[in-house]
Amino acid sequence: MAGVEAPEIPEVSSDAGAPVGIQRGSHRPTLLEWLGMPVFLAVIGGATYFWVQSRELDSIETRVLTRDLLVTRTIEHLQLTAVSTLIVLALAVPLGILLTRRAARGAVPVVLGIANIGQGVPSFGLLAVIYVAFGFLGFTPVVFGLVAYSLLPILRNTMVGLQQVDSNLIKASRGMGLSPTMVLLKVELPLAVPVIIAGVRTALIINVGTATLGTFFGAGGLGYVVFNGIQLNRDTILVSGVVLVSGLALLVSYLAGMAGRLLSPRGL
Amino acid sequence: MNNKHLLTASGAVVLALSLAACGDDGSSSTGGGSGGLEGASITVGSKDFDEQLILGNISKLALEGAGADVKDEINTGGTDVTRAALTSGAIDTYWEYNGTAWISFFKETEPIPDRVEQYQVVADRDLKENKLHWLQPANFNNTYALAFPSEASDELGNPSTLSDLGDLISSDPGNATLCVESEFSVRDDGLPGMEKTYGYQFPKNNVTVLDTAIVYSAADKREPCNFGEVFTSDGRVSALDLTVLEDDKGFFPLYNPSPVFTDDVYSEYGDELDAIFDPISEALTQEEMTALNERVSVDLEQPDDVAKDWMSENGFI
Repeated sequence: MAGVEAPEIPEVSSDAGAPVGIQRGSHRPTLLEWLGMPVFLAVIGGATYFWVQSRELDSIETRVLTRDLLVTRTIEHLQLTAVSTLIVLALAVPLGILLTRRAARGAVPVVLGIANIGQGVPSFGLLAVIYVAFGFLGFTPVVFGLVAYSLLPILRNTMVGLQQVDSNLIKASRGMGLSPTMVLLKVELPLAVPVIIAGVRTALIINVGTATLGTFFGAGGLGYVVFNGIQLNRDTILVSGVVLVSGLALLVSYLAGMAGRLLSPRGL
Repeated sequence: MNNKHLLTASGAVVLALSLAACGDDGSSSTGGGSGGLEGASITVGSKDFDEQLILGNISKLALEGAGADVKDEINTGGTDVTRAALTSGAIDTYWEYNGTAWISFFKETEPIPDRVEQYQVVADRDLKENKLHWLQPANFNNTYALAFPSEASDELGNPSTLSDLGDLISSDPGNATLCVESEFSVRDDGLPGMEKTYGYQFPKNNVTVLDTAIVYSAADKREPCNFGEVFTSDGRVSALDLTVLEDDKGFFPLYNPSPVFTDDVYSEYGDELDAIFDPISEALTQEEMTALNERVSVDLEQPDDVAKDWMSENGFI
């Protein structure tokens, strides 16, 4: 039981530290880009719903596939994802800014090394270690694990985003009399937003996937549905769980992507 | 001087005789009329937890002892993977619990209270539908139970039966906290059925779902729960000094494991396999299995050593 494998968790590319999915040359999103993902998710969700409805459910399936239970588990899952991602944002963006300042250059390998360890350890093992270290179970230790697990992509992307800003632009801004802080706020950060947002999307997807393990550590979430489907060999439960988890991952990634589009400076 | 020579000589004679006996046929020298598996090639599998690793090694040793050429695929994977390996013929045998077959493979929801009948129904159905052969079940059963740390007994009102839990729930609901694995929380033969039979319900927020392995330490630490769902044959129950509540209404069905064989192997060696495994299953009592599990789960001994000790102590090898 201990070495549970979860092939249904959306796969995240192993080199999540590298900046991915940056959208350049962005224009205002077209209608298709706005509506494509929501429509796709609605179709998949609807199809799953009607498929489950059309099946004759036994008592185990009826017990898991209730609206109450699924809503509760989805909310738990969203809370785990949202809280951990917000904490990671609050930690990793300032840290990334700090590490790209000239004075802090020496600390870069150390900090990246630590962040790499967080992501290198298998997620289930990381949560188990945190349980042993904390001594208690539930929401907090699992959030702690998710933070450690998804720190790297945002940190890395913040750093890369800031480093790739054309140094001539920075020099020009300084020459125009802007203070270093103003240069950071008005020039560097806005230009780094697309890369940072790409990191946020990676972190969100990692967190939605890894949060399924929360059910083993008393934090609930949709893993409860997925793993019950696996353990009890009930396809309806398994498919419903998987559709909810992967739908959630796609949805939050889509929302973050759209937010990034709106935050990016025009003309990039 | 002669004494020494005499001893050496007699030793040589005994050795020669025993060697001859072995070379002879084997069937006359080993107990239980086994030994008829020369030439048989059998792949042994098991699931991935301690009890299964021990049982897998017991099968391996028993089959080897009877002359079979055994391929070791012990620790095949979880229930689904191991079962799929058996039905596809990647392995020829592993030990399966009839309750698991009933609920997971056959998708039934209501267990059969009588243990012999439960075994028979599963064995018949698996033979008919999948051509798989269930040998006689082992003496021990591995079923659900609720347990709490013995030292907390006074504080929890000294419960000794599942019925006593009802009193605790009504008088001191704050202490009626329970940790379960996810499966147990939805199975008819798990928490929902138990609550129905005993006529009480744990307060909704008092039930925490955890990984199977963590339930034991969570109950032991009383964080976040005083009671934990355990398996009756698990070594950690006694090692952590947990008190098991008596199932006074006899709700939890008794699930016994059997060695299950593919038709390929069983159709050829069925009689021999019955002769080899029936005495082993008979000897695997609740106390014996719990003690073996404890050696692996708690004392961290290797499952193959534990299995070997037990097999030789009981004269099976």
